[in-house]
Amino acid sequence: MKILIGIISTSKGDKLYVLDDGQEMLINDDGKNQKDIYGNYSFLKKHSFKINDYPVTGPGVFRFRYGPVTSGIREAGVFQLYTYGEKILRATIDLSWKYREMAGTMQMTSPEAGLLMAERVCSNFAMSHSVAFSQSVETALEIKTSLLTKNWRILLLEAERIYNHLYVIYKLAAAAAQKVLAAHLSALFEEALRLNEQLTGSRYLMGINSIGRLNNNPSGPAVQKAVDGYKNLANTFTRLYEHGLANYNFLDRLHTSGTLTPDMAESMGLTGPSLRACGIKDGLNTTTSHLISLPVITQSGGDALARMEIRAGEIVNSCQYLIDHLRTSDSWIDNEETQIRKDKTGGTGYSVVNSPSGALGYYLNVKNGNVQDVNPFTPSYIGMHAVSHALEGAIFTDFPFIFDSFGIHFTDASC
Amino acid sequence: MIKWWPLYGLRRKLTEQKKYISPVKLRNATTKIFHRSLFIYILDAGSSNALNFEINALESPQYNIHRFGIYFTDSPRHADVLLILGRPAKAMLEPLKETISQFPEPFYIITIDDFPDHPGLMDYPELPNHVAALTGVPSPSQILGLLLDISKTKRR
Repeated sequence: MKILIGIISTSKGDKLYVLDDGQEMLINDDGKNQKDIYGNYSFLKKHSFKINDYPVTGPGVFRFRYGPVTSGIREAGVFQLYTYGEKILRATIDLSWKYREMAGTMQMTSPEAGLLMAERVCSNFAMSHSVAFSQSVETALEIKTSLLTKNWRILLLEAERIYNHLYVIYKLAAAAAQKVLAAHLSALFEEALRLNEQLTGSRYLMGINSIGRLNNNPSGPAVQKAVDGYKNLANTFTRLYEHGLANYNFLDRLHTSGTLTPDMAESMGLTGPSLRACGIKDGLNTTTSHLISLPVITQSGGDALARMEIRAGEIVNSCQYLIDHLRTSDSWIDNEETQIRKDKTGGTGYSVVNSPSGALGYYLNVKNGNVQDVNPFTPSYIGMHAVSHALEGAIFTDFPFIFDSFGIHFTDASC
Repeated sequence: MIKWWPLYGLRRKLTEQKKYISPVKLRNATTKIFHRSLFIYILDAGSSNALNFEINALESPQYNIHRFGIYFTDSPRHADVLLILGRPAKAMLEPLKETISQFPEPFYIITIDDFPDHPGLMDYPELPNHVAALTGVPSPSQILGLLLDISKTKRR
């Protein structure tokens, strides 16, 4: 299955950044039939900061602005909600409030300085941004990374997935007033951040990845301690989650909230848990195939409950994946050394990673050792379109369940 | 069948007894009236989201901030401290000023600039009662240490 995740303007015309069963590829945009092939072609081409900006009029219909300063959604973003009362008729999302010119400030910098910026596009996806950016530079400069570096990057991406998924489920539990469940999940979320710090020295896995290598490979007692930590985390989460699912009040709030049909999800170009919740596989798990591919979990509901179920399953899978590989990491032998071509100072590179909320890709050029034309493609931008459509027809009290279940962020969408 | 939560919740003690130390000293002396009752309003002006996540982590049972009388509030009109996350994005300057104008006296402002070298963000406008300016991503323990300094509450 081909999924369009972005459109790149180059001097030789536009190119479509497409995922074909998890493998990234560029296709020349010949302008013919693309709208029919890719349902998200028009909005990705326009790449507007105002999503679904089509006002609704009618008897009693008014516009209600939510944001940019609210405590419901702490991030700076605005929802323009069209309604005549309880029902949301349309939700226009404005991303411009959080626009920080991240892609612009990466231009004409050294790859290392660009990497520093990429990590800070959305700090809770720091590892995903960092790996996608560094892999793009490595492709451009024909740097061959060592097997050890590749392995560690995969493990750290799983560590990122765990704490992000815990955060999403914690938010959903809190929104449904499940105080005890939310408090315990919040404690697990903090534990996951502490495990990150134990492994890498950073709670958000920042500063460990570099171009062509890791700044330091986690090793020794800290790794073995982390194994025990992930074991406890998986066990506690499983018991807690089963307990939580026994509560019909909680499930009723999520069931049929923000439902997307498989056709809608596919045509919007969704990837990650939001697509898999509609029963469709995106093939992103194959990006880790040189270690062992992660098992893929799918659900058929397409609603907030299905998205939460996917994330819950992935937390346990990722913990198990980390436990299995961290245990043996001390015996990993770096039999493939990093190879850098010193004569190579330019080129084009692109890469995609399996971030906690879907495909996250970069496309960039390197000229005379500096990065140019940096194009990040984030799951949150496409996810915002999905949220906007999922909110149509929902009632106000469903708002947090729909928004939080997609696990997307304004800072990631507006880069 | 619905399972009873309270038993599950009471079985484990998650709250930690630690010393919480602020990474910075307060710029000005603060009033004593917030002793054991300090309400915080959070405003994300342009952070990279790590700070939003750290605030969520601060609400976890390990820190149990309510035992010190510290709460997050949903309205600036009920708040004693404005915690500004990140340096402001251009569009957020006006909402930031508007929020400050809604605070009841006395109040204090804390800023956390998680990415001081970022050229795409604005400088802070003039901030009244700006008692602390942090840089980088402080841990929840450090943020709690700073809040305890402001409220003049015992640390344990």
